[in-house]
Formats: sequence, structure tokens, C-alpha cells
Amino acid sequence: MATPTDERSALLSEIGLDKQNDATLGRVLATGRIGRAEDGPDGRMHARIRIPPDELVFEPSVLVLPHGGDVDLELINDDQNTHCALLPNNGDYQFIWLVNHSRGTATLNLDGPGYYWYSSPTGNDEGRGLTGAIVVLGDVPPEARLDRPPQPRP
Amino acid sequence: MTDTAEPYVDAGHAVDNASLALVPGNAPPVATTVTYDRILRARSEPQNWLTYYGAYDGQRYSALDQINTGNVRRLKPEWVFQCGAVGLEAGATTYAFEAAPVVVDGVMFVTGWDGWAWALDAATGQELWRHKHAIPFDVSLCCGNVNRGVAVAHGKVFYVTQNAHILALDAATGKRVWDKTYGDVRAGESATVAPLIIKDKVIVGSSGGEFGVRGHLDAFDIETGEHAWRCYTVPKPGEPGSDTWAADGEAWTRGGANCWLTGTYDPELNLLYVGTGNPAPDFDGEVRPGDNLYTDSLVAVDPDTGQIRFHYQYNPHDVWDYDSISEHILFDLDGRKALAHFDKNGYCFILDRTNGDLIRVFPFVDRITWGEISPEGQVTAKVYPDKEGEPVHFWPGPAGGKEWTHAAYSPKTGLLYCPVQDVGATATRRRREFKEGIPYWGAGVAVDLSDALGSVTAFDPATGREAWRWRNETPMCSSVLATAGDLVFAGAPTGEFNALDARTGELLWQFQCGSGHHSSPTTYSIDGRQYIAVPSGWGGWIEGFNPGMLGAPHGAALFAFALPD
Repeated sequence: MATPTDERSALLSEIGLDKQNDATLGRVLATGRIGRAEDGPDGRMHARIRIPPDELVFEPSVLVLPHGGDVDLELINDDQNTHCALLPNNGDYQFIWLVNHSRGTATLNLDGPGYYWYSSPTGNDEGRGLTGAIVVLGDVPPEARLDRPPQPRP
Repeated sequence: MTDTAEPYVDAGHAVDNASLALVPGNAPPVATTVTYDRILRARSEPQNWLTYYGAYDGQRYSALDQINTGNVRRLKPEWVFQCGAVGLEAGATTYAFEAAPVVVDGVMFVTGWDGWAWALDAATGQELWRHKHAIPFDVSLCCGNVNRGVAVAHGKVFYVTQNAHILALDAATGKRVWDKTYGDVRAGESATVAPLIIKDKVIVGSSGGEFGVRGHLDAFDIETGEHAWRCYTVPKPGEPGSDTWAADGEAWTRGGANCWLTGTYDPELNLLYVGTGNPAPDFDGEVRPGDNLYTDSLVAVDPDTGQIRFHYQYNPHDVWDYDSISEHILFDLDGRKALAHFDKNGYCFILDRTNGDLIRVFPFVDRITWGEISPEGQVTAKVYPDKEGEPVHFWPGPAGGKEWTHAAYSPKTGLLYCPVQDVGATATRRRREFKEGIPYWGAGVAVDLSDALGSVTAFDPATGREAWRWRNETPMCSSVLATAGDLVFAGAPTGEFNALDARTGELLWQFQCGSGHHSSPTTYSIDGRQYIAVPSGWGGWIEGFNPGMLGAPHGAALFAFALPD
């Protein structure tokens, strides 16, 4: 039976899918919070992502960008273990080590629309929960769209 | 900050992943002297593989003959380049290594899946630079996370991305020079084609024919990326060919005809020969009455303007998913400018490339039940999914007697060499409402899991007669390469890379690459030493062309072979 959206968080918590070593060994991906990046006046975006203690999750675990382009990230590891981040970026992945109680930055350039996964590629951080998503909203430029009448969508 | 109140350790700023791989980040500036004129004369420099097919004619033939029938048994792997998956990628289980390595004066330029492009030292395999375009995880891909290669000219490397961008990179550094979007991912469009340079333009086609889009070619200025023209391959109402679509319907708006493979080019005629894809929905023809131009066709395009000069439709009103995207090999036949095209429908067409007139048509696969084509080119459909819910079995299946993987032509032997897939399928028409971005097939389709065969078969284009056949126990799903060493190279789904005698089909040599082949081998030489390069990485639309091998090992390796020093 399908679960209504407003019960999802409660049910995740009740079953123990949103924490470490409870229902499962790790935390089911993308069960953390959703956050929005700030859009600067110059179109450059900014966001902060944290790794809270003993949760093995990026918070927000789903970061939403209002459009494609450049985003400046502040990455904070509040955990008592070392992690890292391998982030999508046009040109090459961006990598940063995040030792215990550290703060770093990353600059990403991403196309929209669509979404991307990123992760902490050390041990099995990725499977335990340290896999986050970056969602980019928007549409492709008008000149790239098909010359046809508007079409129905799902 | 945590409650420890201690200042954070400074983790610094994130760095390029390549900086952690001893990648130098630069390559010799070999591409600065690659011009249109040089690509025109690509045959005169066989040490290089300058463009997707090796030359504009699409023959996939090399005049190199150091490796030949007499010594090929001594061929050894010289180096291997590998790149596995990183994190969660689109089509995580369907990625394939499909590219044709392009080589310019000792530097190899090649693409992988998921936005990868590399420059390699073609003598050693050392990675010189990499470029990784970030590809959305949720991009629409009918047939896997794939890319077929690059174009190189004017100091730049051009390639497309799965989210329908075309990129121009600095060929010496791999850094982006310009980036243009030419497809709508919200409509289900994507891009997989290797670009083609013609004069001052770089030309690409769109993918997405299984999502009900409207196919198109696009041309961009090499230097600036400025959009030069777009050629839609499904006409709007009132345009030439629009009478092959219902006058009052919406079918044309989602008609398909995507050009997802690189075209060939005749500079004397100034014509670009491009094959177009299936109509949409693939199998439900009732919602799109008519011949549905220019689906499943050859379109001869003026590369300066994007105008279609003439066409030849191989599958009028296709209901079997018989894209005609496959290459058009240009060659001379008894003094006549001809072209050869192996269609998914199981027939090889020899056309006059000055006007599209049919010269000859003949079957190239044993089992053809969907219908037949007369020697005059008359198409008669016999078996097709026209009744809702009623399964219909036909040969060849929707991947065709040959899919995108390329045939070759040797001017030395005068033979065409074709990788053959002899596999059938069952389609059951299931009408569905069109919704943008959702697959639009109009059927449930199951390709035969067993009783599937393959071969590399040689044909004489002057007669249509089969010259020889090298049989394989499973469909052959990789491009073949013909050389002046009287060899035909062809990779198998089971991982073997094979060298056949071009005159007899005898198997002379093979090497197990560890993963199946679904790519285009090329050849080049450095300091007088000939190499054969082949990407090995099984994947893509396996359930379409060879479902009996769905469980075969994946991989991501590029092998270069040479004779011992």
C-alpha cells in the first residue's frame, strides 16, 4: 500500500531507516532533509552542507539549486570521523578531504535541469548514507527546445 | 560549529580529481594543424585516424599494412587504458564503451560514457588530460549511457554529452572553450553521436527517438560555437514531406527520425549523408498514418545550409523500430558514385549517391520475416504488430540485422564487411497516451533470448553475392575495421577481439579482452609502428541486440595492440 507523503518522515523514523545501525546497517539514501541554495544577485549560488555527528549523512541530503550555473559550497564535517566529498562539476569531479571537525569549500558548475549524486568515497561511506543529491531546477535555453506545440507531461 | 567551540580545521578548497591521478593536464598541440583540408585528405596520412570513420567516405578502411595476414598471429597487447565507474552514474548498469578512438600525430582522443573525454599518449596509453562533464543522473537514455566519440579540428576536440550539449575543448589541455545546449532533456532528448567537421562547422544529431521527439541535425561554428542551422528530419505541416503525416494530427510533433549516428560526406557533391531513426511510437503505426518522412531514411543534406537535397526511405511507415541510422559507405562502383547501407530491416542497399536512385538491394541476414523488398525496391510488409494485445514475432528484431555498429569496405578487395545480428523478437501492440519525457513505444517487446546467431559476412557490392561468412555463436554487435593488410578486425560479445582474413574470412588471431565489444576499433601508426585500438566495455541496449548476453561481464578498457618490437 502506498504511503501518503506526510507520513513518510514519521514512518522512516518508526522503522528506523533514517539512522545508523537501526533497521538497516546504514541509513537509506536521501532520507535526510531538503534544502535550497541561495541565489545571489549575480546569479551565483551559495549553500552549506554539513555532516552531523554519527549520522553519516549530508545535511541537507537533497540540495536544490534554482537553476544551472555556478554554486559555492561550504562543507562542514561535524562528525568525529574523517570523511570526504567527491562532487559533480563540469570539467572534472571536485574532491575534498574532510577530517574530523573541519570546514572546506568547493565550487561547482552544473547544468540544469536534472539531478546529480555526490558522495564520500572512503570505505563504504557511500552505502552507509553519505551519498547526497544536488537537484538543478529550470529548463534548457529556448533555442535548444523543439519547434513544436506544447506537449502534455505526466 | 559544534559544541566543542573549537575552530574548525581548514579543509581548504576542493580540487580537480585528476590532480590526484598524476594526470599532467596537457597534450602536445597536435590538433592545431588539423584543418578541413587535412580531413579531406585523411587517406593520405594513414598514420592517423583523423575523423570518426577514418575518412569522410565512411569506409572504416586503413592503408596501413604492417600488421597483415602473414604476421597477425604475433599481435600482442601493447597497453591498456581503464576507467571504471565513479559513484552513482546514469544508467549505472547499461553504460558501454562505444567510441571510435581518433588519433592525431601520436595523441589519441576518445570519449567514454557519462561525459568522459580523454587525451592519451597513443604509444603508451598514458592519460594526458581528462574532461568530465557532469551528467544528470535522471537524464533520459533509451539505450544506455554511451558516447561514440570525438571530432578534432583547429586545436579543439568536440564531443556531445548525454544531456544534449556539444562541447569544444582545447585539445592541448582538455579545458572547455565553448559549450552549447542543442536538445531538450525535458522532452526526452539526449546525445550520443560523434560530431563531424565539415568546412567551418561541426555537425551533430539528436537522440531520443523512443521518447516521441522531433529529430534534428544542428551545425555550429567551430571557433565560436555560434549556431549555424538546424535541420528537422520530420517536417512541419506545409513543409516538403508533410503530406506523409496526417494533416490534422499531432503525430509529426513526436515523429522521431533522430540522427544519432555520424554521417558521411562527399566533398565533390557537397552532400552530407545521414541516416534517420525510427518513427514514434515505434510499433503503433495506427496513430501515425502515412509513410512518415523522413523517418528510416537516407537524407542527403547540404552542409552549408542544412537543406535536405533528396532522400531515400528504407522503411516507409516503419512498425518494427527499424532505424536507418546506420552509416552510408561511399565508394565507386563501376565508375558510378555509389553508397552502401546495411539497414536494420536486413537488406543492404546500394544507391547512386548523386540522386538516391536504387542500384541494388539484397538481404544480408538469413532470417527476414517482417516482409520483403523486391529487387526494384518495392517494400511489402507482412508481419507487424497491428492488433492491440496480440503478440507478433518477426525477424530481424528491433535492433536489426545490423544496428549502429559499423560495416567496412576495402577498396583493395572490393568487398563490404558487415557485423550481422540474426535475432528475432516478439512485439505486442499496447497503445499508450503520449506524455513528454516518457518512453513512447506503443508495444511490449521481448527480443529472443535464444536461437540468436551472428557473423561477419563479406559481400560483393557489384553483385550482392556473399563472398564469405565467419560464423559466431551469438550476434556480432561491434564495428568492423578493414586494413590493407588484408585483415578484418571484429570484436565479439564474449570478449574476443578477432582478426579475420579479408579474402576468406578465416580466423587468424584473437585476444580475450575480458568484456564484450560494442565499439569501433581504429588503427594508426607512430614512428612506423602500427597499432590497432579497440574499446572493450559491454553494455548499451543489450536487451535489444543480444539479450542472451545480458549477464556478460561489464568492462571499461581500451586496448592497443601491436606487433612485438
